[in-house]
Amino acid sequence: MHIEKHPVLGRQLHKPVTIYFNDQPYQAYTQQSVAAALMANGIKKLGVSRKLVQSRGLFCSRGRCCSCYMTIDGEDHVRSCLTEVEEGMRIYPNMDDPEVRREIDED
Amino acid sequence: MKTDVLIIGGGPAGLSAAIETASRGLDVTIVDEASQLGGQLNQQTQVLRPLPSVYEPMRGFELANKLIEQIKGFNVRLLLNHRVVGFYADGSAGITDEENVFPVKAKKIIVASGAAEKAVAFPKWTMPGIMTIGAAQTLINRDFVMPGKEAVIVGSSDFAMETAIQLMDVGIRVKAIIEKQSGALAKEQEKASELSKNGIPFYFNSFIKEARGNGQVEQIDIELPDEVITLSVDLVCMDGGRAPILDVFYQLGCSFGFQEELGGWVPQYNHTLQTGREDVYLAGNAAGISTQGPLLLTGMIAGISVSEELQAISPAEANEMREALWKELGLLEDKEVYSGRIKHLENFTSPLLKDQFIS
Repeated sequence: MHIEKHPVLGRQLHKPVTIYFNDQPYQAYTQQSVAAALMANGIKKLGVSRKLVQSRGLFCSRGRCCSCYMTIDGEDHVRSCLTEVEEGMRIYPNMDDPEVRREIDED
Repeated sequence: MKTDVLIIGGGPAGLSAAIETASRGLDVTIVDEASQLGGQLNQQTQVLRPLPSVYEPMRGFELANKLIEQIKGFNVRLLLNHRVVGFYADGSAGITDEENVFPVKAKKIIVASGAAEKAVAFPKWTMPGIMTIGAAQTLINRDFVMPGKEAVIVGSSDFAMETAIQLMDVGIRVKAIIEKQSGALAKEQEKASELSKNGIPFYFNSFIKEARGNGQVEQIDIELPDEVITLSVDLVCMDGGRAPILDVFYQLGCSFGFQEELGGWVPQYNHTLQTGREDVYLAGNAAGISTQGPLLLTGMIAGISVSEELQAISPAEANEMREALWKELGLLEDKEVYSGRIKHLENFTSPLLKDQFIS
């Protein structure tokens, strides 16, 4: 749930944007991090751990713990707690290790 | 890129160091991985006190705005959304914008890298819905998002009590506060008693035995002194204390000492806040875990010392200001932390750990 009216800071959520998680549209607001915007829509599981395949979500929200890795706009292993949402952003959970080396577009 | 002073970290300590150096005409560069300056102050809605005498008591985000306002007009280059990833052989910092890496050569470096929250481990503590108190505070005050509906707090420090109150204020039901010690650790007792008055139980001598849930936390078992109870929650906020962030100091080859009162391993430094490497200074939580007022003071001390080294201020003037700031630090800072700091200074010449990360 988004906090529309904050007891100290008042109304802060002004510019809504649409983001896509697993190709489903969700509402978020600019200035929110990807991890936070997903949580506001009830999505807490952002991926799975690499070895034991256990659920992972936002833990430190500081970019330190790397528990919130996701694939954002085609880029793997992005810390979703430090990445601000943008209109039309396409987000997928982190299900395994990324390809470390991939072909770079020649053009 | 060349700069007089490279400040790593744009939180309260980094900003106050920037004010001290830039206001004396030095060319200053601040690098921070966040998209805005102010560090953790940005989501602190509580009133901060005590602050250094030049600031009246104010809320955390107000202090962030004030510090940011102060550096405007000075010669400060901002590298936001940038990270230091290493150092070149000539001492230049390697800084990335997440795409390319470029060198920044600085005459002096001030590291104000802050602190990281520590975890409290119990079975299944890594499940979604279980997070640090700082993360919960960030979600409600920076992102304007409810991290859950029904919560428990593990730990009872001032920060934990403050966060519990902020969670309640946005409508989250705090079901219990779990503390492994026999009493609340918060120094400001009125916050703990405010929570008690609101009917929130404190379970002392207790800990989480296990968390359960399908993909996210749904239930926890709490081991009380004489029984185990089960609560349904969708949010567990853990307060494991904080430890200085040391990565950059390792890369710089600084020496370390262990000082319990300052949060464990801390780079060694002298009264000018110069580390074992003479071109590197430190400030803020990186110099030992403390509260916001003292963090600002350490930033000011480091900034003045660097200004002196770069001849932007006379040694006599620097000494006088530094002495006054140390005196104020002694008055503002928690007694135990301050005495730990003094012990740490005395150990400057006898490092416990050095060159431990040669690869």
